[in-house]
Amino acid sequence: MVMIWVGAGPAWAGIPAEQDDCLGCHGGDSSMTMDLPSGEKLGVYVDSVVFGKSVHGEILRCTDCHTEKTGYPHDSKPFASKRDVQVAYYEQCKSCHFANYTKTLDGVHYAVMAKGNRKAALCVDCHGSHDIQRASEPRTRISQTCAKCHGGVYQVYAKSVHGRGAEAGNQDVPVCTDCHKAHDILDPKNGALSMRTPEICGRCHTSEKMMSKYKLSTKVVDTYLKDFHGMSATLQRATKVDRKNFAAVCTDCHGVHDIQKSSDPGSHTMRANLVQTCQKCHPGATKNFPDAWLSHYEPTPQKATLVWTVQLFYKLIIPFMVGGLVLQIALHLWRVVVNR
Amino acid sequence: MSTSTNVSTTVSTPYIVRFTGKQRVEHLVTMVVFTLLCLTGLPQKFYGAAWAHRLVSIFGGIDVARWIHRFCGWTLAASTVFHFASAIVAIAGRKTRLTMIPTKHDFDDAVATLKYYLGLRDHGPRYDRYDYKQKFEYWGLVVGNVIMVLTGIVLIYPTVLARFLPGELVPAAKVAHSNEGLMAFLVITIWHIYNAHLNPDVFPFDTCIFTGKISRERMEHEHPLELERLEEGGQTGRTVAPHARREVVG
Repeated sequence: MVMIWVGAGPAWAGIPAEQDDCLGCHGGDSSMTMDLPSGEKLGVYVDSVVFGKSVHGEILRCTDCHTEKTGYPHDSKPFASKRDVQVAYYEQCKSCHFANYTKTLDGVHYAVMAKGNRKAALCVDCHGSHDIQRASEPRTRISQTCAKCHGGVYQVYAKSVHGRGAEAGNQDVPVCTDCHKAHDILDPKNGALSMRTPEICGRCHTSEKMMSKYKLSTKVVDTYLKDFHGMSATLQRATKVDRKNFAAVCTDCHGVHDIQKSSDPGSHTMRANLVQTCQKCHPGATKNFPDAWLSHYEPTPQKATLVWTVQLFYKLIIPFMVGGLVLQIALHLWRVVVNR
Repeated sequence: MSTSTNVSTTVSTPYIVRFTGKQRVEHLVTMVVFTLLCLTGLPQKFYGAAWAHRLVSIFGGIDVARWIHRFCGWTLAASTVFHFASAIVAIAGRKTRLTMIPTKHDFDDAVATLKYYLGLRDHGPRYDRYDYKQKFEYWGLVVGNVIMVLTGIVLIYPTVLARFLPGELVPAAKVAHSNEGLMAFLVITIWHIYNAHLNPDVFPFDTCIFTGKISRERMEHEHPLELERLEEGGQTGRTVAPHARREVVG
């Protein structure tokens, strides 16, 4: 066994990984590779400086992840390709990160992988391996990580009101994982995710603290729920499993990755574009039709006068009517008792 | 119709046929349809409550519940149209008396009843075929039906409405439909259930609208003016109106 103690730089000096002696071989020659049957060359060099600065540098020894490499020389598992190696090491993160590992089992990437698509993201695809850093530092890094595979969607997002904010360093705007989650990512295609948008969007859009910065209303979810779409969606969610004929949720009108301010000419909810947006579900919609939706406003004497008036009328007549009838019943019963 | 009014005083429980078969069927249809409309409509108003979700899932989901609601709504609309069409025909053919029209007399009766309840009079007013409470409930239902049917149609076809009229009518119709429905539910559960079931005079169940029959004793008590006219009409053999040409059978 050859022991070579690599340099004594302050950042990585005495990191636990060095105690396994692995770096004696794997830390020297940066061009060190292994030939795989697929014809690929698997790099087996580990930069101890990079590893030392990673989140695991101060904590893990090589054999904590490479559990089967207990001696020298060690056999290599018969990996056919690079991807085989990555897939095999998927299980290794579990021993420490059990909660997040379990979450991935409910995620769309795992489901796609289980169906045989080996390109679906594994731990290392997003987090890296020997160079793992905190995924959310800085936050914009998250969206760029997703963009490695989901480039098309990222381009659309980057032009949206949220994406532009994120690029400008705004810490309030959502990055991919704020809506999609990081580990238990829902399949966005079957509608389960969009059915949850009133909560997802509501997390920020009902926060007085956050919305006041941008002079945005926090009543958007309440007013949505009170209207036909919100009421229907609430009741449909209990019984429906798919998106077919599901009432409109946030993203159906505002867009998904291309959300803009409603004053932006490119916004789906801008006044001039609204009829078109309504027509997605209401094919016969004409120019008066968008007024059927109160644009997240509570009816007031100024806005939606008619709706406000009807509301007021019933607020007065129902107690008057019911109170009057109950009073008459009470008087009648009293008379019956007195007569006896 | 040749049936002459026939009052028997010799048998212990004489009764009078108060409602025709058509009227009984109309009540039955309204009762069933109204109940279903409440069961499928109120959960939509109170969509946030747990009971609303349970009720909707009993019907097999909101889509089924909504289909039932609309079917019942159209049935109610049709029965309302039928009711008025047949009433207009009957009125035009002078085959009926306008017993359901509210008059000043009903207002006086209401005041007199309240005075009686409060002990300011020794006895309540004497009523004809329908007392003021029954007229109030009938016209309340009629006005309610018209509002519910019209606003309901707006809610089924919002895009059609917006082609001709301002779109704001749609949310206004929704507010009206939702509140008018709640009011109808409250009036029926409080007022009608009291008058038809819990009222000590009829407790536990006024069967009159189902069997069509009412006892002579109750007629004397509740509709003495109609009874007098019936018996008078029977004696003179004068035919007045279908429901006034009632048998009084022993």
